[in-house]
Amino acid sequence: MNRKEKKWYRFRLFTIAGFFSIFLCALVIRAFHLQIIKYESLKHYADEQQFCNILLPPERGLILDQNGQKLAATILADSVYVDPVMVKNREKTAEKIAYALDMKKADVMKKLSGPGRFSWIKRKITPPEAAAIKPLAADGVFLLQEPNRFYPQRELACHILGFVNIDSQGLEGLEFKYDNQLKGPLHTISWRRDAKGNRIYQAERAPVEQNDSVSNIILTIDSRIQFIAEQQLKDAVEANRAKGGSAIVMDPRTGEILALANYPFFNPNAFSKVSADERRNRAITDCFDPGSVFKPFVAAAALDDGVVKENDVFYCENGSYRVGDRVIHEAHMKRHQAMTLADIIKKSSNIGIAKVAQLLTKERFYEHLRELGFGEETGIDIPGEVPGFLRKPNTWRPVDFANMSFGQGISVTALQLATAMSAIANHGVMMKPHVVRAIVDSQGKVLEEFTPQVVRKVVSPVTAERVAVLMTSVVESQGGTGSRARITGVSVAGKTGTAQKFDFTEKAYSSQKVTASFMGFFPADEPQMVVLVIIDEPEINRWGGVAAAPTFKNISEQVLCRLDRNIEIKRVEKEAEVKKVTSRVARPDTADIMQAASTEIIPSYDPADTSLIPDFTGMSLRDVLALCRERGIKTRISGSGWAVNQEPEPGMPIDADRPCFILFGNAF
Amino acid sequence: MLKVDRRIFGNFDWVLLGIVCCLLVVALVNLYSAGYNQAEGQSVLYQKQFYWVLIGLALMAVTVSLDYRVIVEYAYIIHGIAFFLLALVLIIGTITHGSQRWLSMGAFSFQPSELVKLTMILALARFFSDRQIGETYGIRNLLMLFSIVAIPFALIVDQPDLGTALFLVLVSCSIVLFVGVKRRIILLFAAAGLVLAPLGWMFLRDYQKERVLSFLNPERDPLGSGYHIIQSIIAIGSGGFWGKGMMKGTQSRLRFLPEQQTDFVFSVYAEEWGFVGALVLVFLFLSLILWGIKVARGSRDLSGTVLAFGITMFLFWGVFVNIGMVLGILPVVGIPLPFLSYGGSSMIVIMTGMGLLMNVSMRRFMF
Repeated sequence: MNRKEKKWYRFRLFTIAGFFSIFLCALVIRAFHLQIIKYESLKHYADEQQFCNILLPPERGLILDQNGQKLAATILADSVYVDPVMVKNREKTAEKIAYALDMKKADVMKKLSGPGRFSWIKRKITPPEAAAIKPLAADGVFLLQEPNRFYPQRELACHILGFVNIDSQGLEGLEFKYDNQLKGPLHTISWRRDAKGNRIYQAERAPVEQNDSVSNIILTIDSRIQFIAEQQLKDAVEANRAKGGSAIVMDPRTGEILALANYPFFNPNAFSKVSADERRNRAITDCFDPGSVFKPFVAAAALDDGVVKENDVFYCENGSYRVGDRVIHEAHMKRHQAMTLADIIKKSSNIGIAKVAQLLTKERFYEHLRELGFGEETGIDIPGEVPGFLRKPNTWRPVDFANMSFGQGISVTALQLATAMSAIANHGVMMKPHVVRAIVDSQGKVLEEFTPQVVRKVVSPVTAERVAVLMTSVVESQGGTGSRARITGVSVAGKTGTAQKFDFTEKAYSSQKVTASFMGFFPADEPQMVVLVIIDEPEINRWGGVAAAPTFKNISEQVLCRLDRNIEIKRVEKEAEVKKVTSRVARPDTADIMQAASTEIIPSYDPADTSLIPDFTGMSLRDVLALCRERGIKTRISGSGWAVNQEPEPGMPIDADRPCFILFGNAF
Repeated sequence: MLKVDRRIFGNFDWVLLGIVCCLLVVALVNLYSAGYNQAEGQSVLYQKQFYWVLIGLALMAVTVSLDYRVIVEYAYIIHGIAFFLLALVLIIGTITHGSQRWLSMGAFSFQPSELVKLTMILALARFFSDRQIGETYGIRNLLMLFSIVAIPFALIVDQPDLGTALFLVLVSCSIVLFVGVKRRIILLFAAAGLVLAPLGWMFLRDYQKERVLSFLNPERDPLGSGYHIIQSIIAIGSGGFWGKGMMKGTQSRLRFLPEQQTDFVFSVYAEEWGFVGALVLVFLFLSLILWGIKVARGSRDLSGTVLAFGITMFLFWGVFVNIGMVLGILPVVGIPLPFLSYGGSSMIVIMTGMGLLMNVSMRRFMF
């Protein structure tokens, strides 16, 4: 080799060495690209394929009543799943599983033949079932514990609580409304798997995160009262062979719902077997014509506007009152003559209350009803509430206006009635009804508190008390329609109602289907509890005073009797001992009413018995003479106007020789 | 010929031995880790490979002690024996994974296609040592050159093992280009190659076509032919800068990596030792390659130069093609990573090659 060749030869070697270095540098650059630049995404891919994750439903927070009683809790339940690859003998395994879990073998077979390495067989099984499944682990059938919603009180407050689906999503009620607060993050169980999908059990599991984001909900519901309400309602509905019913117990001072019961109720632990009819929270979703329970509100409106006083007398047209082209009758086809407003409420006169309403005028009447909350949602914190139906006054015919005054032709919910009643009971101030008192975290720290909220002033405090007195006479005074609601030792204000239901098939009000109701509060002078009982389509006793009033009484009595064991109740008891209603509105017979309340019920006479002297009070001279002629009573008349007094007393046997003295006058 | 010159030991190539030993340690540690599996315990592969390394070292010692010129003298005969073994494979070879590559010899099996890589280099050294650099070749010489490469190529393609066959072409072309031939001849071969490439495509088997297509787009069939390369990239990438640590490579532990002890052994290594480990390994290989070129340059005769250069080429293309493959920048071909991949044949061949390199290195002062 000469020098030139040598130089060329050396140059080639260096070039080649340089090429090699560049080539290997390319490898390093590629490694840098993969290991540094694309590290995150490739690491993610690796984890993705190396971990097998199962997402389990989140643990849910508790729902507690106001005393801390658990109404909804979370327990761990066993669920069964299968790794289809590990199943050796499908037929045999399927048979065993089907036997242990009471399933169809074909269904099990389908799950055993599924693709992949994971398939649920049955979720949330019972402990005995779990025990039967355990030995099947060798065949690829495994148990896994997952959180499960459990309602320890079963049916109690089911309509308020609602329920969750198998993946713990709230579907109805508070479970639905507060789903976000109640549910925790999805709970992941993960394990490493190899390329063939085999589990590597030795690999570390993702730690189960401590669930701090779950909130618990504290209700205003008192489960003891709720229980009483539910049982009494159930008894009443069954005894009267009714279609259903609702009962609401509410604290008028705060708007807190202490109990909200519906019948039929259901067991939310097995909600899937429940019909839609049973699931319905009737108290807020069902509208009905309230009937006579509506009358106190008319009275309240009229008293508040000052268009009427308790002792104003209205002529009740002897039981048939022509309005426009229609004729209005009284319930029981009674014939009332002249009545004061107090008697109209006490004896529940349709014609009387219609005349009272007419004094108000349509527009004012409508405004008052809106004030009382009819025709709009109460805003309660349970989902699914309906606003009811209240027509605009310009669409009312005269007869509609009259009907509406005694609660026909207007649609309301039970909760609207209870809320409006509470407003009267709370010195005319309406409180927003609510069932959730607070949302707290797992340590009990309050996250959100729902304090009592004033909606608006509905009537003046004086009016409210005057209405209370009117309603007290319904229960406490002789001849009131609500006498069956009397509670010994406590003065009760209330009103009965029997509404004809609108029959949508007949497009007319049915004479057979009624809604019987009783609405009231106690103690009458310092109300602490409003109780409303609605019985839907009772068949045995159709009248509110018979079907619903005793239920009101039973609920109230038991509540009073049970609650006197703790502090808050003592206050109730102390106040319950007040025997007298101290009314600002002077009424001569108030004292008598209270006396009657404290003594036993005086046996009443039957007004229909023609052998007895009837009660002429409030009748016109013409009517008195007609009635006396009918029964063969001799009369001595003095004065003019309406009958105010008589001798002998009503209910005495008629003596053909002895004349009856009847005094007529213009006022009592 | 067995007379050992004292100067040989004075010129003993400690650097070469040092680099080789470093690579052998890395190889055994990595195989130990790659074979470890929690479910099945330690595999016996790394132990076997340890014995192969010992045998390899012994062969290296033997090779070093013989003068390479004597070995080159017999190169055609040795290459001829390799032809014979390759032909034998086609007749009585063991079939694994659809191709016939192995000769079973009792407990061991041997892969003649590995051996032929080395004998071809020897034969080429012999071929070029008879001539001077820059000499023009007649048609007879070209036919000779062609048959040294083309016969084993054809036999290996028939196994089928396209990767190894192309590897032979790659190494031989590198040597021919290095030695230097007329521009005309290069153009002739290049033109022939361009014409034959589409024809060759038609002769490729389906799985081979798949591999080429998968290389061009690995996501084409992620669970099929693209699977290996995707899993390899995930393994290497998820190793990150520092790696997951020895015996902690999840991709390999959980058997997502294919062929993790043979062709894809670098993926295991890069997953566990990270970018730092990869850098160190590539640096070791580069040192060895550059050292090989230095040896080639230092050789006093053409046969030594071609031999040293050929072995360096063998090493370089082995490293580049294998690592390029597992990194996803070259198509999947069955070329083992020198030293690191499990396999007796390749270990023996590479160690013998190292022996020859050292041989050339030590005898550079003898003339």
